[in-house]
Amino acid sequence: MRIQHVVLAGIALLTGAAAAGAQQAPTALGNLAAAGSPKAPKVQVMWDRFYDHAAIGEIGRRLQAAHPNTCRLSSIGKSHEGRDIWVITVTDFTKGDPDRKPAMYVDGNIHSNEIQGTEFALYTAWYLCEMQGQNPWIDSLLATRTMYLVPTINPDGREDYLKQPNNASSPRTGKVPRDTDGDGLVDEDSYDDLDHDGNITQMRRRNPNGRFIESPEDPRIMIPALPGQKGQWDLLGSEGIDNDGDGLVNEDGVGGYDPNRNWPWRWQPSYVQGGSDFYPTSLPETRAVIDFVTRHPNIAGAQSYHNNGGMILRGPGSPQDEYRPQDVQVFDQLGRVGERILPGYRYIVVWKDLYIVWGGELDWFYGNRGIVTFSNELWTDFKYFEKSNDERSRYTRPEYDFDRLLLFGDAFVPWKPFKHPQYGDIEVGGFKKTFGRAEPGFLVQAEGHRNMAFTVYQMWQLPSVGVDSIAVRSVGNGLSEVRAIISNGRVVPTHTQQDVENKITRPDYVTLTGGTVVAGYRVTNPLNGQAVEQGRNPAQLAIDNIPGNSNVTIKWIVRGNGPFTVTVDSEKGGTASLRR
Amino acid sequence: MVVEVKMRACFALHRGLSPFRVLTLLALVVQPATAQWRDHRSLSAMLTSLAQAHPSQALLLTVATSPGGRSIQALRVGAGGDAATRPALLVVANAYGPHLVGSGIALATAERLLQSGSSDSATSRLLNSTTIWFIPRLNPDAAEGLLGPVKWERVGNGTAVDDDHDQQLDEDGPDDLDGNGVLTMMRVEDANGEWIADSVETGLLRRADAAKGEVGRYRLVGVEGRDDDGDGRFNEDAAGGTDINRNFAYNYPHHGTNAGQYSFSASETRGLADFLIAHPEIAAVYVLGPQDNLLAPWINRPSMGIADPQGVRSPEGTSAGGQLNSILKADEASFADAARRFQKTTGLTKGPASAASAGDVLAFLYYDFGRWAFGSRGWWVPEAARDTSARGKSTGTTSTDPLSEDRNALHWFRANHVDAFVDWSKVTLTGESRITEVGGFKPGALLNPPAGEQYDSTLARQGRFIFELAGMLPRLALRDVKVEVLGEGVWRISTEVVNDGVLPTTTAIGARLRNPRSVRVDLDAKGGTILSGQKVQLLAPIAGLGRSTRLEWTVTAARGATVSLSAGSPVTGTVSQTITLR
Repeated sequence: MRIQHVVLAGIALLTGAAAAGAQQAPTALGNLAAAGSPKAPKVQVMWDRFYDHAAIGEIGRRLQAAHPNTCRLSSIGKSHEGRDIWVITVTDFTKGDPDRKPAMYVDGNIHSNEIQGTEFALYTAWYLCEMQGQNPWIDSLLATRTMYLVPTINPDGREDYLKQPNNASSPRTGKVPRDTDGDGLVDEDSYDDLDHDGNITQMRRRNPNGRFIESPEDPRIMIPALPGQKGQWDLLGSEGIDNDGDGLVNEDGVGGYDPNRNWPWRWQPSYVQGGSDFYPTSLPETRAVIDFVTRHPNIAGAQSYHNNGGMILRGPGSPQDEYRPQDVQVFDQLGRVGERILPGYRYIVVWKDLYIVWGGELDWFYGNRGIVTFSNELWTDFKYFEKSNDERSRYTRPEYDFDRLLLFGDAFVPWKPFKHPQYGDIEVGGFKKTFGRAEPGFLVQAEGHRNMAFTVYQMWQLPSVGVDSIAVRSVGNGLSEVRAIISNGRVVPTHTQQDVENKITRPDYVTLTGGTVVAGYRVTNPLNGQAVEQGRNPAQLAIDNIPGNSNVTIKWIVRGNGPFTVTVDSEKGGTASLRR
Repeated sequence: MVVEVKMRACFALHRGLSPFRVLTLLALVVQPATAQWRDHRSLSAMLTSLAQAHPSQALLLTVATSPGGRSIQALRVGAGGDAATRPALLVVANAYGPHLVGSGIALATAERLLQSGSSDSATSRLLNSTTIWFIPRLNPDAAEGLLGPVKWERVGNGTAVDDDHDQQLDEDGPDDLDGNGVLTMMRVEDANGEWIADSVETGLLRRADAAKGEVGRYRLVGVEGRDDDGDGRFNEDAAGGTDINRNFAYNYPHHGTNAGQYSFSASETRGLADFLIAHPEIAAVYVLGPQDNLLAPWINRPSMGIADPQGVRSPEGTSAGGQLNSILKADEASFADAARRFQKTTGLTKGPASAASAGDVLAFLYYDFGRWAFGSRGWWVPEAARDTSARGKSTGTTSTDPLSEDRNALHWFRANHVDAFVDWSKVTLTGESRITEVGGFKPGALLNPPAGEQYDSTLARQGRFIFELAGMLPRLALRDVKVEVLGEGVWRISTEVVNDGVLPTTTAIGARLRNPRSVRVDLDAKGGTILSGQKVQLLAPIAGLGRSTRLEWTVTAARGATVSLSAGSPVTGTVSQTITLR
């Protein structure tokens, strides 16, 4: 793996926000760590803010410098605008080859505005590094497993979201320029920050025949006038002007595609799947992730963070696919635990319970690579008052109440007048971009921790192969039967059924040394001894799958009396051996 | 024409024929498939020399580099200052490796256009009004399979793939067991085999029909070769990875043989798409390959889309229904018209059915890139003259005869003295005690014309069609531009936006895709104000042959003021007019 080394000058590039967030302090203030928290974190990071590209790299570098045997920063490729797509590899580098340990892959921020996945991935790296040596369970996790964290697979879009005026939903796209409205001009009519406050809020115009009124209980809320009631306002959409004079406002902003519809599994053109772009893998960021994952067959589990809605999603995204029942069982076992870890989140299926997605990332991970992949939709309305929003009334909205009662109005830009070149006298106001889809500051760490815990749970449940036992008995003529039980003690199989059926990754190999193998068998029914011979190269038995929480029995007829060593070598389940 | 000294010539000498008669016989024994085709080195050299010899009419660029290190080149043919921007036709060939005839047609057509561009007035007119791009060989790594010392139908590019998942790359490819320089088929005598020799064409195999009491005699192993890695399977991991004609997105065969690791995994595949993105002026594409829509034009065949796991179906071409399975009704007439023109121009009206669509170039260009996409095999074995010999009479060929195409090929090859079939002969295979034989059609023989009349006439008739297709591109004009005064200073302006080309301005599917771009019409009222009508608008496709869309605006402006009107898109060119209000 190529490691990008720190350039000290890079620190000088840190933005104000980043510098404030990630200051290096030799020791933490505070006397007693709360339960489950690092006692003396070496790297100080504030988890109530969002980090730009420079800061992400800087946090990665500081973690690497402080925890050189646990954390490494490298790049999986470059974005369209030339930014590194960072991957933070977290494992115990002193124990084994990190790329041969069963691995969990996590990424975030594929949609530019869905930012907090990045912080959750960074928090995961930080937490695991700082807890190592303090918590034996985490030590054992990192000794045997690897976590690849790609905080953002869309660094250009992220930078745009953070640095340019935007709303909570913009931009979804990355930054490769596209002629969204088909008029021959590219990205020529984007939002305009009329009041220069860094947020794209709403525009409204007084109109005695308008269809909206201010709520009598909270005048910030625009509500539809009742039938027969005279309104006061027109709502005119997001802040913007008609930049190209075609009569339309904001019709061709940056980019113009959906990076999560660009993947080469059941990709469909735009009349079937909006935003899929010209062809699957047309985006450099898509290709960088595909290349990385393809080069790391040890990746057995994955999580791709989105927002929002409080969902633990599994595929398929398209109704054309149906997951194999063996695999559904695995997803279900993990997903149900996820629902416990993440109150307010529902474990559901993309196409059936959310919407249809062709060419989505998680579909490529499972369909093409056979990887058990979830996608969490971070943040949910449930979190406002920790109950379902059944208190919504005609004149109130929980998000406004939450802003008023818990954030003291900090999330809302009050309506103020503006002279619009096309619309005349209007007012501009509404929620800031950081509100509504991302966690408010005081919940970033809490939700980050819960989601991290789910990925860590999944990581623990990745396959773990072992040689449980070896039994040797003489069968006469100087030959012995060597029988071994090969186990996988975790929920996830070494090969999903999707993998087995499509021969995506190689079989698990079980080899015998210590004697001359005459014949080798997979015992298909250990109770009655039924077995299937592997005629070719019997010393290395190829096992197509070791199911989760299960085992496989094999046997050899061997010349020699041992001692014998049985080794199991699985791309996704690790390696183990036993000698007898 | 390349002539090969064959056994027949030797027999002639033994029979004591005159030297003159021997020479005649020699001339008749035609080398079938490969001798007239250029390998990558030779093709590249030819493209380079064409570009150098015609600097004002040709431009050569590299579209992609194959995993085998070969550059995929595109040659632009067209004269004049706007050659780079005006509407263009693309000819793309040889995405399917063994389909060398496509490369031959593309190269020969480019060469002929450039060489006769200065002498022939029709060609000169074409070159000065239209640009034609040629990508003669999209899969150069695979094409080399028919051009090396041992010829075989290689389909995969130079990506090493572990086809059999045994952790070894390309370790068991075919082998030339009989040392004849071509890889044919291999059969082993085996009563459990499914195959028997055809009673009429004894070189052909057909499935034994158990219902007729037939018992198989042969097991058909596949292409000739050894079990190089001793895993009990033959040729299961040959050199080569991705068949570029199976790597595009439409109907992509996920996890399919030679389809690549995923759709668009190959640099050649991406290279073609990126080339089209960089050249939005390409209005139509002629694809030479196994898929055809000129003998049997594509039609609109509405169907329901996929059934979801609960059995519910939604309309095709939508989010719930998935892939669109046939062309849009609005595009049907143009495909039919192009097919009619193709058949008239080439004289080719019958041929083998199109190969099925599975990640192929042709379907991708229409369904995913919105282009007018026309495909032909370029050449196929012609229908043999009725065979009056005993062999022919007893054939009793019916439409259900699975060997009918092969029978016809054998008749035709025999009648035309083409050495395209290797008679079955015994070979020794280590570890195989049963009788093992190799034989069958020579690689590439059914895809590519033999040297001589067939080769020459194929290049000629295909060149004529490419010439005709280039003349079918959409062409815009503004006609019937009218100004009426409604009251002092208030004007009504109207125009017809006409398509004088043959093909509609874009396909209907292109309008859905916004690729290629629709015709954009701008009315710039300068100091005036538009009262009705749009300043900027995008038009639905305008059919060809003089059909039009009528547009109207009302504006206020001073008498004598001017407004300007323009209409165009990269695939149609842009026309404009300045109108004085009076």
